[in-house]
Amino acid sequence: MGLTSGLFIGLTIAAAVAGLAVTVWLWPRVARQRAGPIAARLGLVAVSQALAVVALLAWINGYFMFFGSWSALFGGGSAPPAQPAGTAAPSSPITITGTDLGPVPGGSSVLPEAVNGRLVAKAPRYYAEHHTGTSLATAGGLNLSGGADRAVRSVGEVLQVMIRGEHTGISTGSALVYLPPEYFQPAYAHARFPVVLALTGYPNVTWSIVRFLALPATAARLTADGKIRPAVYVMMNVSVALPRDTECTNIPAGLQVESFFGHDVPLAVQQTFRVRSDGSGWAALGYSTGGYCAAKLAMLNPYQFSAAVAMSGYYRAITDNTTGNLYGGSRAYRQENNLDWRLRNLPAPPVSVLATASRAEGIYPGTRAFLRLIRPPMRGYSLFLPQGGHNYGTWDRELPQCLEWLNQRLTAARPHAALGQPAPIG
Amino acid sequence: MGLTSAVLVAVLAVTVAVLLAGLVWLWPRLAGRGIRPVLARVAFLGCLELTVLSLIFVVVNRSAVFYSSWSDFFGTDTGSGAIIASQHGGARYSDSRSLPPVVVTARSAVRLPGRGRRAQTGRLQTVRLHGLLSGLSVTGYVYLPAGYTARPAARHLPVAVLISDEIGGAAPGSAQRISAVAADEMAAGRLRPLILVMLPARIGQDRGCLDVPGGAQAATFFSQDLPHAVDSAYRAASPVSRGWALLADSSGGYCALQLALTSSQTFAAAALPAAGYQAPPGPGQPGGSRPLSTQDNLQWLVRHRPMQPVSVLFTGGSGQPWLSLARPPMRVTSVGQADGQWPAASALDWIGGELSPDAGVRG
Repeated sequence: MGLTSGLFIGLTIAAAVAGLAVTVWLWPRVARQRAGPIAARLGLVAVSQALAVVALLAWINGYFMFFGSWSALFGGGSAPPAQPAGTAAPSSPITITGTDLGPVPGGSSVLPEAVNGRLVAKAPRYYAEHHTGTSLATAGGLNLSGGADRAVRSVGEVLQVMIRGEHTGISTGSALVYLPPEYFQPAYAHARFPVVLALTGYPNVTWSIVRFLALPATAARLTADGKIRPAVYVMMNVSVALPRDTECTNIPAGLQVESFFGHDVPLAVQQTFRVRSDGSGWAALGYSTGGYCAAKLAMLNPYQFSAAVAMSGYYRAITDNTTGNLYGGSRAYRQENNLDWRLRNLPAPPVSVLATASRAEGIYPGTRAFLRLIRPPMRGYSLFLPQGGHNYGTWDRELPQCLEWLNQRLTAARPHAALGQPAPIG
Repeated sequence: MGLTSAVLVAVLAVTVAVLLAGLVWLWPRLAGRGIRPVLARVAFLGCLELTVLSLIFVVVNRSAVFYSSWSDFFGTDTGSGAIIASQHGGARYSDSRSLPPVVVTARSAVRLPGRGRRAQTGRLQTVRLHGLLSGLSVTGYVYLPAGYTARPAARHLPVAVLISDEIGGAAPGSAQRISAVAADEMAAGRLRPLILVMLPARIGQDRGCLDVPGGAQAATFFSQDLPHAVDSAYRAASPVSRGWALLADSSGGYCALQLALTSSQTFAAAALPAAGYQAPPGPGQPGGSRPLSTQDNLQWLVRHRPMQPVSVLFTGGSGQPWLSLARPPMRVTSVGQADGQWPAASALDWIGGELSPDAGVRG
């Protein structure tokens, strides 16, 4: 019974209703004004309240997809740790595990083609297997008249992939790749596309980037409107070891998460898809914890990522119950993971960072402080909204401008004269 | 009453307290049978639950301002902003862009004993390398093989990086002598043409080519700045094409193996003297800690991290424990030698053979 399954959420709601019913039913038996019955009343009320709180938490978690599974919440399950020493690396760093996620599914943005079309709710194969009956599976899609092939060629495709880190041994089965429609068009058959690595917040599941941030849908809409040029979007969970918050850190004598996103993922994507390998063809984008990671990945790997967008991010090396000891107990090493400290004490890297926030958010002062520290050759840009919170509503409003900003910094794929041959996939 | 205001928390908390007290106190009056008392109970409990859940939501929401206002919560916020380039601090700091990544400070021909002055032997440059990311400036040498300038622009040469503290002098380990060995091996057809970059093992206070917390970022210099600098000035193969390798004598052996095991995305092979390499040379790291020094033990890395896709040659020893520790994709070879000299020629030949045959081809 999955944590985010309709069955589990339904049971918690049923339990809350039952708690209420039992309290109402037992009411007359504890109605005397003496200490014992009064204590029993308080107990009944407390139990029914607790059941209601559990139901609310389960429902909110199912809706916002903070934790996608029991192992993501409590650990020990499918979170793939480093590959054991001595085992041979598999031959291919990327395996496609789901291709029927629907063309550009999800999100609040709807493509022009979908306006008059039938909205398709299609369960991605992976989530259909792992999250039976959950709301996660509902993906507002597009008019598929003319078949899936036509849809792919006009709006692109979202794939689910497993990425194995050759150097770090970290692997993840929940990554998603959005290939734009141009990727499948003959004119681009030999073109190499720029890549945006998009990271979730913590805790989260990767699908949130498709469903709530609506990254593929927004990118497809802006590309169709001629506002940005096509790019490949690699969408990943910022935590590679849920429930632990790993903050994209190379943990001393532990998981090398920064190297995984900084080297392994770019290498794997370059080996699998027709994408650029130089830094001017790669950028990172993320919200919340993903914003910190995006800025950190670019600042620590400026030759790999030339630009980063940090949406409602923070810039210090945090530590709390969910992170555990990320810095090996070394104050100096923790400072090196503090982006403000790096800007004060180390050479500024040759990257551009766009930091966004709403003025109402708690992270707003920290974002301004980070931007004030940026000096050449690094370049800082701000996007501040007058209102909004730490949520997708704010990020959805910022995303089109962020993608247009990225578009100005990434080297575009160059189309060639159409040769009439369909482009190879992969 | 704002969604994130303390007043709202107070009002909800007082409401919960009043409802709870009222519930306990009025309990007997609602204990009757029939539809109306039952409905009253349900309504009372329902109100309490709603207030408690609202209180929890408002308190949690305040902690991180998930929703900043009622309009934000109901999704009616529409305000937008403009992207503005940050103008702070530009003048107050020195601009490290002013330092080019490679400055050639001296040039010389490579002399081969017993050969004429016109022999094709390549050229040796003394260079000042500046790492944009690490901020480190390092003096080293670059040997460009015979025919380097005449090569077609599309053909890029693989790169071998020699790490040694001997390169500065006139001893057998000097850059001039090593370059002569390389030229000799290439002339004899035992070594494919490659660019030989020679750098000291000691960078700052660090002799292990590590990123010292709070200190010199030597690993960053070697794995990130160096390929960028070499690419900016020479027709060199990219590390992505497995065209980079490491070479070291006993002063740079730890450096080379450490880089091969932690930066195998940059370096595909390493040739170095056989040793245990359980701790970096020199004093311990000032900013270090136990987990940090744990991973400075290179045997620990091989035992506890995934095997790296590197090929390592150990010279002048049994190659243990590395031979028995390594599993694919890591490959380990060892050769002993009799005279105790560091075998520059055979190490170079081995490196040339390990580098990917199509490392220099750029599409």
